Amino acid sequence: MTGRLRVYASGSRAALLLAASLALTACGGGGSSGGASEPPPPPPPPPPTLSKTEAFRFLNQATFGATEAGADAVVESGIEAWIDNQMNAPASLQLPYLRSLPRPDFPGQLQPDRVDVWFRNAVDGEDQLRQRVAFALSQVMVVSQLGALEGAPWALADYYDTLAEHAFGNFRDLMEAVTLHPAMGIYLSMLGNEKPNPALNIRPDENYARELMQLFTIGLVELNVDGTVKTDGAGQPIPTYDQSVIEGFAHVYTGWHFAGAPGFEQARITPFNQTQPMALYEAFHDTGAKRLLGGVELPAGQSGEEDLRAALDNVFEHPNVGPFIATRLIERLTTSNPSPAYVRRVAETFNDNGAGVRGDLAAVVRAILLDAEARPDDALDTDGKLKEPLLRLTQLWRAYDARSESGAFPFGFAYILLGQGPLQSPSVFNFYSPFYAPPGEIRDRGLVAPELQIATEYQNTLITNLMLAQAFVNHSENPDLGPDDVFIDIGEEVALAGDADALVARVADKLLAGEISPLLAEEAVGMVERIPAGDPIARAAEAIYLVASSPEYAYQR
Amino acid sequence: MAAINRRDFLKLGGAGAALAACPGLHVAAAPGPFDDYRALVCVFLFGGNDSFNMLVPVSDAEYGVYAASRQNLAIAQADLLPIQPLASDGTDYGLHPSMPEVRDLFESGRAAFVTNVGPLIQPVTKAAFLAGSAVLPPQLFSHNDQQDQWHSLKGTNQTATGWAGRIADLIRLEVSGQQLATNASLFGNTLFQSAGETVAYVMGPQGPVPFEGFGDSGIFLEQRRAFERIIGGDYGSIYERGFAEVQQRAVDAADRVSGAIAEAPNLATVFPASQLGEQLRTVARLIAVRDELAMERQIFFVAAGGFDTHDDQAELQPGLLAGVSQAIAAFHAATVELGIADSVTTFTQSDFGRTLTSNGDGTDHGWGGIQLVVGDAVRGRELYGAYPLLAIDGPEDVGGGRMIPSVSADQYAATLARWFGIPDADLAQVAPHIDNFIQRDLGFLL
Repeated sequence: MTGRLRVYASGSRAALLLAASLALTACGGGGSSGGASEPPPPPPPPPPTLSKTEAFRFLNQATFGATEAGADAVVESGIEAWIDNQMNAPASLQLPYLRSLPRPDFPGQLQPDRVDVWFRNAVDGEDQLRQRVAFALSQVMVVSQLGALEGAPWALADYYDTLAEHAFGNFRDLMEAVTLHPAMGIYLSMLGNEKPNPALNIRPDENYARELMQLFTIGLVELNVDGTVKTDGAGQPIPTYDQSVIEGFAHVYTGWHFAGAPGFEQARITPFNQTQPMALYEAFHDTGAKRLLGGVELPAGQSGEEDLRAALDNVFEHPNVGPFIATRLIERLTTSNPSPAYVRRVAETFNDNGAGVRGDLAAVVRAILLDAEARPDDALDTDGKLKEPLLRLTQLWRAYDARSESGAFPFGFAYILLGQGPLQSPSVFNFYSPFYAPPGEIRDRGLVAPELQIATEYQNTLITNLMLAQAFVNHSENPDLGPDDVFIDIGEEVALAGDADALVARVADKLLAGEISPLLAEEAVGMVERIPAGDPIARAAEAIYLVASSPEYAYQR
Repeated sequence: MAAINRRDFLKLGGAGAALAACPGLHVAAAPGPFDDYRALVCVFLFGGNDSFNMLVPVSDAEYGVYAASRQNLAIAQADLLPIQPLASDGTDYGLHPSMPEVRDLFESGRAAFVTNVGPLIQPVTKAAFLAGSAVLPPQLFSHNDQQDQWHSLKGTNQTATGWAGRIADLIRLEVSGQQLATNASLFGNTLFQSAGETVAYVMGPQGPVPFEGFGDSGIFLEQRRAFERIIGGDYGSIYERGFAEVQQRAVDAADRVSGAIAEAPNLATVFPASQLGEQLRTVARLIAVRDELAMERQIFFVAAGGFDTHDDQAELQPGLLAGVSQAIAAFHAATVELGIADSVTTFTQSDFGRTLTSNGDGTDHGWGGIQLVVGDAVRGRELYGAYPLLAIDGPEDVGGGRMIPSVSADQYAATLARWFGIPDADLAQVAPHIDNFIQRDLGFLL
């Protein structure tokens, strides 16, 4: 724990080579290209030849983990063609799998199977981009197994499928699908919300009214198109709504309950109505006038469906939606600290996809991933983001062809082991706040690092231990694994174990596109060499463990 | 840094020089240790506890007002557990029937309630609120914003620190011999403990977990050293640096704390098998080894969730409040068992109180609420602050039964901070709006 900067002085061949190739990127600083240094192309640039390193980097933004084969394919096709192809791939779904399983005594017993199929789709699904965007959306329009939905696994699976199916659709359609989904109805209590009864001091439930605006669409304060906060004459932020608007929307969202029931008060959850859009029971809908955003007032006497459509249109047209959604998705896919110009470019795409359409998510996703700032040539120390814990695991699994004999990924307690699991947020506020800034340089510089909120001492230790177990126990050379144990294929590493430099370089290729820092390379080689050559499995495991638990692997550059 | 194993380390007795070499620990500059040990334990009830159903007026007139407001969510008058405060405000009160343990603590003088407390910048009148002229914390009724207000007391400031974090900063020189940070969370990172100079330590509900691949000798020691050198590297992005800092604190503290806790005496006190019970049991075990870790001042953060009862409140609330009552009572019993009950003060915080009106089967986001304080240093069997009239459109209701607090969260925090050892002159650093209120100390601690 003496000097933080280690002088690089190793005789190891691979490390020296790596040091040479990294000379421009200063110790893991994250250059955009490990290849030759070319002069910057003149504007407008011709389609540049993509390096494998850049393709790898792109895939860590667009999939559940880059692989070497995947990077080769992107180099071959180019990024835009890859995106086009992915956007046409049909969604890998969860509900059909859950429906195929025997119905258990308690529906909640299917939750681990729901998480299992999430992993199957994340690790092996062909529709990687769609799944990654659905995962991002699931952290904006949050519902969670933890709480009232514990007993509704089909609703959760279908909700996730809904996100996947709308991932490249229009945001307005997504808003309506989410609003009427019984998973959301249960989670934020719009389901069963009824018109006022002043005699009993009953007024409409405000939960969904509030969170749809605060967390899913516009946020609390008015934004400029570049995502920066608008201020009034006194320099204060301008609230987007007040309590009267919340109450207006709360009245809009009355009268909805499970579909197909004989009546509002007789509606009860079943395995099937929990995957059907909620239905309107008009007698329980408030028919008064309702105050919406921007001083709009809905007239009295409209039907529940008319009210709902008009209210969702009212939110959708708010100028905050573009910069708000642009920022949320950029944070999940490419970087925690986008420049205002990056947010503006994506928000403007949200506002108009070039064909006059507002809310085109396919165009938004393209704009995020193809932006120059997604993979800038000149690296800043704020580029990129910390990988989410699930992505640290899925990338390892994809790189090492992880599977179990049974095909299952029995990881139902992901939220405990990793601090993050699919639809397992502790609350509607997601696993972390978009504004989280840990003490120290990040806060002092006015930056954010949302994922660091759950990278606690405790959670990091658990994940480090998980990487240890994955590397040393759950691998292809262990004959004692059970049928559900997820193992990584380390055959190639074992074959290289006699040559520590080659072994570490191979792991670095698979997990870091070869962009390993001299420090990590030196330490990994040193540790491998301390393990007897007669124990090639331990050598292979050691190399994988040290790389997979390193800060540079945790970083999505 | 030379290898120091845990026993050697303990023999050093927390000597500042050795500690100074370890990241995450404070360098001894002007040691002036407290002459006693004190701990604050914050029990955060996430979601907004409907505390006007936790402590309820039972006198006929006031109960009638309560029942008329709450309708189908009212607790039956006969079910409430009566309490006898030493000083009466003229109304009789009772506790929710699922809280007999807290009733017993209250009646034996070890618990008190602070009534109608919430985030305020300065006192607010209903007239000013309705006229739009009141100075208010921003984003009232929003979960995360009001949690942040409780954690930080920031009002309209851009503060990024919490009041527990600021306490830790203020006393950092006095407690420089501590082997663990003043602030420890068993429920993840929290703004409450975020600070400018010090860093809170986040452990699991059962305490820290060890790094499985590390040991004191041979390859396991080599592995640890290699790991430490890797995380000590000079990284090019803020994300790697931030991540590596956490890893350094984790490696640094894991052995020491888990080693100490492993030697903690077994507690005879039985804790409920709940998340909150497990966390508080761990806190009790950590307090039991306070001397081994040279701790003088500690602030623990534990939490329970599920209090956002928009739906099914009548079905859910008994279990929620029973969980709080049983866990906090067990924790108090453990501090009695450890002979330290007068040095440990447990207190609740929650996003907000909830609307007195219902949405049919639940309640929505309110403002003021009631908090519970427990410990032998508490001037118990008292209610602090004015209990509001629970009438819709009553003098404290700003709409739907959202109550203007009569006591500010700043006053609540300042009272706790003063007991913890923060001098009056520094209270405004902990509770930035305290000078806006006449009563700087609510008096609920000795």
